[in-house]
Amino acid sequence: MPPRLNIWSACRALSLRTRALAQGPRPGPAMFTRGLADNTTSQLPERNSSAPPPFAVSSNSQTAGPTSQENETALDQLRMIEYGLNPLDASVEGHKYGLPELPLPSQSNTKHRYDSVVEQVTRLLMRDGKLAKAQRDMAIILNYLRTSPPPRLDPSKPLLPGAPPSSHLPLDPVSYIGVAIDSVAPLIKVRGFKGLAGGGKSLEVPMPLGARQRRRTAFQWILDAVNKKHSKGSGRTMFPHRVAEEIVAVVEGRSGVWDRRNQVHKSGTGNRANLNDMKIRGKL
Amino acid sequence: MSAPNCLRCLVRPSTAIPLAIPRQASPLVAPFAPFSTTTATAAKKEVKGHVRGGKKLVLGKFKKNKVESRVRPPGPGERKAYRKRITLSNDNAIQVPWLTDMGPGSLLDTANVAKVLALPEEVQDQLRASEAFKTTQSWKMFRKPSVLVRTETVDLMNRIQGAVEKRQTLRVAITGDKVAGKSMMLLQAMSHAYLNNWIVIHVPEAHELTTACTDYAPIPGTEPPQYTQPTYALKLIHAIKKANEKILAKTYTVSAHPELPQNIPANTPLLAIANAAKEADGAWAVFHALWNELTAQGANRPPILLSLDGLAHVMKTSDYRAPGFDRIHAHDLSLVRLFAEALGGGVQFPNGGAVLGATSRSNTPRAPSMELALAQREAEQRHADPAEVPQKDAFFRGYDERVEAVLRSVQVLRLGGVSKLEARAVMEYWAASGMLRAAVDEKTVTEKWALGSGVLGEMERASLLTMRI
Repeated sequence: MPPRLNIWSACRALSLRTRALAQGPRPGPAMFTRGLADNTTSQLPERNSSAPPPFAVSSNSQTAGPTSQENETALDQLRMIEYGLNPLDASVEGHKYGLPELPLPSQSNTKHRYDSVVEQVTRLLMRDGKLAKAQRDMAIILNYLRTSPPPRLDPSKPLLPGAPPSSHLPLDPVSYIGVAIDSVAPLIKVRGFKGLAGGGKSLEVPMPLGARQRRRTAFQWILDAVNKKHSKGSGRTMFPHRVAEEIVAVVEGRSGVWDRRNQVHKSGTGNRANLNDMKIRGKL
Repeated sequence: MSAPNCLRCLVRPSTAIPLAIPRQASPLVAPFAPFSTTTATAAKKEVKGHVRGGKKLVLGKFKKNKVESRVRPPGPGERKAYRKRITLSNDNAIQVPWLTDMGPGSLLDTANVAKVLALPEEVQDQLRASEAFKTTQSWKMFRKPSVLVRTETVDLMNRIQGAVEKRQTLRVAITGDKVAGKSMMLLQAMSHAYLNNWIVIHVPEAHELTTACTDYAPIPGTEPPQYTQPTYALKLIHAIKKANEKILAKTYTVSAHPELPQNIPANTPLLAIANAAKEADGAWAVFHALWNELTAQGANRPPILLSLDGLAHVMKTSDYRAPGFDRIHAHDLSLVRLFAEALGGGVQFPNGGAVLGATSRSNTPRAPSMELALAQREAEQRHADPAEVPQKDAFFRGYDERVEAVLRSVQVLRLGGVSKLEARAVMEYWAASGMLRAAVDEKTVTEKWALGSGVLGEMERASLLTMRI
């Protein structure tokens, strides 16, 4: 049974033929009793009836009249074909739920259903492999950010350029957490080459970090700060609340994470001459 | 190396004590000069006083250095208060323009089904006083506390209203799936009662009464012995007083109460009785007097709503012990007894009212008799075939006759999922508040509705408490 009556089912039932009917294979009687009607179930005529099967559809005394709305639609479509128009919308017809719009949204894949920062941070929150707990914690963090008042930004600790204004952040907690992490993320790390500086000292060389590495470092710093904090209350919401408080502190410039970032950057700038050191040629 | 007197004498060596022997061991090694240009004398550190050399006994040297925190540790009860704190408003949430306040007749009107109505300020305070809001409900996300009116809500309220008009008492046990909105149904019934100036007595968590976490004392002269819970009774009186202050002030006593700590003559406002409870000692007497006054036959009394959340806790043996170390049945605790009698139909409220008990699906004990009785009542309600009515398991001993007697004639309201229309209404409210960042169309509604087959709590988890915002 076709799910809906459209032009194709109508065409199937109409059985337009270019050749004489007698030359083709003899069709079953069920085919002819089916018309454009709402009643799409085939009715077999009685075997012993002497009446000949109705061969012509045009003499459709048995088919339902073109009164129903679906019949009207099908007839309209036929007329449009007659005028040389294409009446069929390919995205709707023939599909129960329609075709998806292309390009597919970035989060429609199961494996990438969450924002990339949120996904990464959730894995960093995870302890003992308990991902579901980490996800719940993350949801609580996002809800905390949604209910906390808009952050008062500190001009001396500027957020990432292009960050949304502070009043927009609470209702968009995903970008809130993203802005916080990306703003304190260090650009470099300082790598020590053991014994290359002479006298057993290590030669410290600044190295650039990738986006994921930067976020990871920043969030580890945030987690370090969180672990030193005391809970105000008790219960399972306490850890996520502490993390969320630290994220608010980062955006407001109160957090010690900013100092760690400055420290790394300072030492990287101080040691940038070591990049040209002969001893590390070929080791980077 | 070390001076011998150090190990022997207990006197702390000081300059005041004349010493015969040099107190400082002469250095064997010349002081190390860090640079060749530094003279040895300059490098030599000035050491004053007594220096103890050699090995010293250090206790606990493998313990990590504890960081002395300068933060004041939270005071007693502070952490619990933080955990239990109820926030009813979120300033970040967008104000919903079409939201209307609930009125006295709103929950009776079928036209309000699948609409979200806000609780008026006054009712919020009353509900807060009677602890109807719970921390697990997401009140803190929206600008104003609002509730979805369901088909079951209107149905129940109409039944209550019908009973009140006939001066009868409706007795309903609300049961249903996890997070299906049982407590919320109680809250809606309570807001209806407050809006219509009824008296509301609400036990927010039944487990507080039976898990032996509050003190108890026997009532002398009762057989079988009954027990009061004075501290809880005091707390309950305070809640009743705060929530129903206006009506209690307008309702007058019919008889004198000389047994109370404060003499209450006849024709005094009931508020005076409630105010008489200052200490836990006399709290039960006060509560008893208040209850007798409220249920005094023939007096002009407002309708009464008596509700309790967590029915299973009061339908079994409690964790309290009698002097013989036997467990006390929950129905022998006077407060629970009062509720059980009312639920069993033993109390007639003078101007009608309702007794509601909601089961809970989290942190709930098994109460086989209650489960069976509710299943039986439900089967009877839908006029099931007698063969289909669940029967007692002949090989199980855990049934409780007292519980069966109480639940013999209650009505059962089972809550399940909401219809898609109701789901859409509540999702539109979420979206309008800015808490659901998605277009609310048929696809989204069906998506969320299907996740919990319409159970509101599951829909909330899928759309509000999620990482995908």
